[in-house]
Amino acid sequence: MNSTKIRRLLEIIPGFLSWGVIFFLIVLSAWQPAVCAVAIIVFDFYWIIRTLYLTTLLVMAHRRLFKERSRNWLKECQELEPQGSWLKFYHLVIFPVYKESPAILKASLEAIKNSNYPNDNLVVVVAFEERNRDCRANAKDLEDKFKGEFFGYLSTFHPNGLPGETPTKGANATFAAKAAKEFFDRKKIPYENIIVSCFDADTCVEKGYFSCLTHHFLTTPKPHQASYQPIPVYNNNIWYAPSFARLVELTASFCQLIESMRLEKFVTFSSHSMSFKTLVDIDYWPVNMISDDSVIYWKAFLFFKGNYRVVPLYITVSMDVAYSTNFFKTILLQYKQKRRWAWGVENFPFLVNGFLGEKDIPLFTKIRRSYHLLESHVTWAIWAVIIILMPTLPIILGGSFFAQTSAVGYNLPRITGLLFNFTAVASLIWIFLSRTTLPPRPRDVKWHKNILMLVEWIIVPFIVLILGSTPALDAQTRLMLGRYMVFETTEKKRK
Amino acid sequence: MLSEQRIRAVLYYLSVLIFILGLPSILSSVLGYKFSRRTLSFTKTGLVVIKTQPSGANVYLDNALLNDKTPATIAELLPGTYHLKIELEKHYPWASNVAIEAGKATRLEKIILFPVRPNIRQLNKEKFSAFWLDEEKAEIYYAGEDNAIYRSDFEGNNYERIATFLQIDPAPVKFVASPDRKKIAYFNKHKIGITYLDAYSGQPFFSQQFVLDYPSGVLFNIFWHSDSYHLVLLANRAVEVLEAKPEAVPIALATLNKKNPSCSYDLHNDTLYFIDSQRAADGNMYDNLYKLELNSRTTLQQLMKMQTHE
Repeated sequence: MNSTKIRRLLEIIPGFLSWGVIFFLIVLSAWQPAVCAVAIIVFDFYWIIRTLYLTTLLVMAHRRLFKERSRNWLKECQELEPQGSWLKFYHLVIFPVYKESPAILKASLEAIKNSNYPNDNLVVVVAFEERNRDCRANAKDLEDKFKGEFFGYLSTFHPNGLPGETPTKGANATFAAKAAKEFFDRKKIPYENIIVSCFDADTCVEKGYFSCLTHHFLTTPKPHQASYQPIPVYNNNIWYAPSFARLVELTASFCQLIESMRLEKFVTFSSHSMSFKTLVDIDYWPVNMISDDSVIYWKAFLFFKGNYRVVPLYITVSMDVAYSTNFFKTILLQYKQKRRWAWGVENFPFLVNGFLGEKDIPLFTKIRRSYHLLESHVTWAIWAVIIILMPTLPIILGGSFFAQTSAVGYNLPRITGLLFNFTAVASLIWIFLSRTTLPPRPRDVKWHKNILMLVEWIIVPFIVLILGSTPALDAQTRLMLGRYMVFETTEKKRK
Repeated sequence: MLSEQRIRAVLYYLSVLIFILGLPSILSSVLGYKFSRRTLSFTKTGLVVIKTQPSGANVYLDNALLNDKTPATIAELLPGTYHLKIELEKHYPWASNVAIEAGKATRLEKIILFPVRPNIRQLNKEKFSAFWLDEEKAEIYYAGEDNAIYRSDFEGNNYERIATFLQIDPAPVKFVASPDRKKIAYFNKHKIGITYLDAYSGQPFFSQQFVLDYPSGVLFNIFWHSDSYHLVLLANRAVEVLEAKPEAVPIALATLNKKNPSCSYDLHNDTLYFIDSQRAADGNMYDNLYKLELNSRTTLQQLMKMQTHE
């Protein structure tokens, strides 16, 4: 079988498994409702245990985040290398931009300017897409304000339709990184001393972000064989966003916190940092894949024969909650964004294909990482369907005899309801933690929004179904059918 | 971080342990299995679901009082027959033998515990000769002995006089309110009276109360058409239709062989269902069920116009 066919087969697997489980349970609920009921109860019980376990990890990660918030990373860098040799490290920050307004970028650049790391060690590249007609005017606008603020400030304009490329963020970021490489070559700065961060346009860093990153780079063994992942929060406009959009992003932040505790599964997501040397060695971000943020990790993982990891940074980078002018537009926007995230399932064929030609990575590692990736995407697509929709199916399709007279038929809705209530315990913890990560309430936001932000958690089951499972199933189905997604930027809106 | 990873590992294995230990007990409970410590074996059991009206009754299983009151579910019952008794103070007890099958749920969800002293109350405030219910509006109508129509709610409250009606002799067999609740028709064998309810309270209502003679046959039943203007009459030899106006003449829609036909009127579809006898090919008379559709107002009016000209 040639590599194209293998890759196509691998693309089919996640969607096939997800739909297979759903269809199997539907058929089973009509054919053998008692067996289906048992399967649902087993899954429900597994899910409750898993939720409680992950919530404990969330609490641990949250505690760590708050503990490290008080650390003075700049001071610790100075203490680590009193001679000041840590200042040899330059930070390259790339902002791939397409339709985002200069106002969004100004806030992000302002946050970098105000960080406590010396600006003389910062190089910023704002990477515009040439297909946006306003790009040069926007670049000029930003250059006028920020050109002299850093050691280097570059505006790049990624031409449309370069050979081998599809219009993705990764293609733009790669073009920008190559321009930055020329800049560093001219300045004769070795790549080993450069740490690159690829940020979404709306990413606002904390004051100590680059100091924290430098400290971790200095203290991590084999620092070039690691990516550095901050905790993304969506605080820029969280007080103004609609309830469900806010909840979705809060949940995304919490999932990232949980993942930071599961180091063997931790993969880069959204805004992240890594060694520039490694980036050059692995030939930059992929130029034809949408999920560049996670594929870059797998590229490095394959390049270093499995000896590559993600180091969590317990410091936040703040981004925008995606929302639009009305309810339905916001639902659609969120749906498209989550579908793009779920398109990360394209990593599975990429990774397994990479593993097939690789002999230096142990088989156990190959199986384990492939399984984790596949399992996480399949579970993403089906868990809400099984927990929320499936318990009623054996009752509906299993016939009145099963529903009315069998002990399993009587017990099914009661047991699943009881197990589902256990998630309420986890929800209370999540609600409490969500309060602690919020920025202060803006003056123009009324106090009763606080109450709304507590009550809104009731809609979580609806959200996990509509904006959890459905976009994931959509993405997997598209990949399965070979209807590949094209990159779409998410509209960012601030009051 | 290392210690966190250790804690995480402990939590992970603890979760696995809880899953492994908890799952059998959950599944055995769901499937109705009961573990016997004495024999160290699982036995498949059944359960009984009890719901009573009213709730809160004591449940006795084989004469032993259970802690739960109704609604109650008694699970893990070994297959067999049990004597179940349900008691609630001031109510008649309910008792029955219940057969429990392994893996089955026996549902006793329609138990009504009737009070020992039924709650009977007088609702009328005046003497009356007939009454009928308007379930849709939750009202009771009374035909008073003073030839007046009264109305109250289902508790007998808000009792008020709403109209009068002309007396017919002998007394009316039945009162029927029109679907729009503006008219009431009443009848005996040879007379039909109609009174307009909204004509009361200051209006010259006497002009809107009238009695129509029906000398040609014997009336068994009358129904309002959904237009609240036509009356469908079922007499001993004919199905007829009549406009609710003074001096109206009934129009025969069908002649009947049966002298005392039973019937039912579907107001929603304006259809009359009635039984009539017809002679079959073997020469014998047989009862058949017939359906007469009166659902098109135009058709009804055309029919009446046509028959009037005839």
